[in-house]
Amino acid sequence: MARSKSMVVALADIRMALELRMVKWSLVLSAAFGPFLTIALVAGPSLVLTGPELELITAVLMPMAAAMLAMFSIIPATMISANALVGEREQNTLEPLLCTPLTDRELLWGKTLSSILICGAILVLSTLASAIGIAAILLGAGKQLIIFPDLPGLFMLAVVAPIVLFAVVSLMIIISGKVQRVYEAYQMSGAIIMIFMLPMMAPIVSSPSGVVDPSMVWMWNLLSFFLAVVIAIITWAVAIKQFNRDKMVSLV
Amino acid sequence: MRIVGEIITNQLSKRFGELKALNRVDIVVQRGSVFGLLGPNGAGKSTTTRLLSTVLKPSFGTAQMGEFDIIENPVKVREITGVLPEEGSHTLYPSMTAYQNLEYFANLYDVPDEEIPERIEELLTFMELWERKDDKAGELSTGNRQRLALCRALLHKPKILLLDEPTSALDPIAAKRVRELILSLAKKYGQTFFINSHNLSEVQRICDRIAILDEGQILLTGTTSELRQKLHAKQEFVIRVVGDIKKAESVVTSQHFVESVKIGVDSLLVTIENPTENNSQLMRDLLNAGVNIVEFAEEEASLEDLYLEVLKGGDN
Repeated sequence: MARSKSMVVALADIRMALELRMVKWSLVLSAAFGPFLTIALVAGPSLVLTGPELELITAVLMPMAAAMLAMFSIIPATMISANALVGEREQNTLEPLLCTPLTDRELLWGKTLSSILICGAILVLSTLASAIGIAAILLGAGKQLIIFPDLPGLFMLAVVAPIVLFAVVSLMIIISGKVQRVYEAYQMSGAIIMIFMLPMMAPIVSSPSGVVDPSMVWMWNLLSFFLAVVIAIITWAVAIKQFNRDKMVSLV
Repeated sequence: MRIVGEIITNQLSKRFGELKALNRVDIVVQRGSVFGLLGPNGAGKSTTTRLLSTVLKPSFGTAQMGEFDIIENPVKVREITGVLPEEGSHTLYPSMTAYQNLEYFANLYDVPDEEIPERIEELLTFMELWERKDDKAGELSTGNRQRLALCRALLHKPKILLLDEPTSALDPIAAKRVRELILSLAKKYGQTFFINSHNLSEVQRICDRIAILDEGQILLTGTTSELRQKLHAKQEFVIRVVGDIKKAESVVTSQHFVESVKIGVDSLLVTIENPTENNSQLMRDLLNAGVNIVEFAEEEASLEDLYLEVLKGGDN
């Protein structure tokens, strides 16, 4: 069956991204650190605490772990998407690509898909690894089982994170049309991650008493979701509309 | 009257800010012909190729590639066009193998899946790269990368090929093979070639028509002989003599219509003003002076001479 051209572009981008040591290490670290920290945060306190103290700390750490796992999975997307356009321009491979019958939409979707496929896979695998790791440790230690992710956490990982991922990549595409070098795009990606990190981490920061109210977690999750949806729609529309072959080539 | 051509530009212009990179260029390239665009660095040759390949958008004017307009149907234009960009050898994916580079583009150009392996093998074999098919493009020599980039341009059997310096970085044998390939493809399959080049002898050898571009404007266009006629290039004549070359020289230099004389071992290269009127006078005087003439022939201006003359005219 013929693959879509966007998928052809995405698979080529993934292959090239995996050749870059910096991207490769960022993927390995994200895939390893996310589950490691999640397991430590969720299963760790159960090994030493019990009763209301454990319930309190778990209520704080569960949303934090889910948000962190999501962020660790999204961070490599900034590098992959920066390389996908600015990197191609830097190594002079963009012009032949622009000479093919790819439409702007197919090209940009392909570039977006490469980040989404890799980071989506990391997100799913990290979540599974964390859930299994937590269960294995707690059951092995004879402690009460904690299901990770809980419902707000699942919403964060299954709904909010993929949309944030899409929004981050769309923003990176817009940035790619403005900068000349990959490292400039990398520098700007830090700021982008921060935009999304704040509302995702807000439930913990915003509870002065240290007690996390579940309704507060839902509120911030929904706020993150709406922020991501709005940014994703706007940035994707802007990325498609503003994508300028002239500018992409002239910036060389 | 309707102009028939595979590539027709109509007032094609491109500005980069204040810079007029291309200014109202009109070119017609016939189907199955090889067209050469000459010009110094910065003349606008690569901008022309980028506009025709729809990578850049014109600031004014347009162009027709085959049946399609570059502004209205850019995707269709790209489907029927193969492009070797400027510095083609540097436009390959260095971490992909030679085969993977071609396979990637074959998919993007909609080459049917079942034809891809055969097409790649055919091209790589022709370019003597089949043995290197599993080598990463970044590990190939510049010449081999250039050949690979040419394979990429030919992969989807395009109707029109836009080649920017196709034989640069190639050794003479490979360059000759590429020239032969261009001529045979144009003849056999009616593919149209638009070539940017600095290599004047190559252009003279393979191009049916030539345009000379400078500072974004076409200075002259036509076949080599048409260019010669349009330029009214000063005609040079070779006068070969047997015997006293000095005597011949003194006769020639005494003529008021002789602009310059270069002396060889047994010949003079003479530039004559208004030769139709003055040649017979010069010959008569030489014979009267006892010079034994064995040849009196016109020396045709080479493309290089014409090119330099056109650009010199442009400077004035």
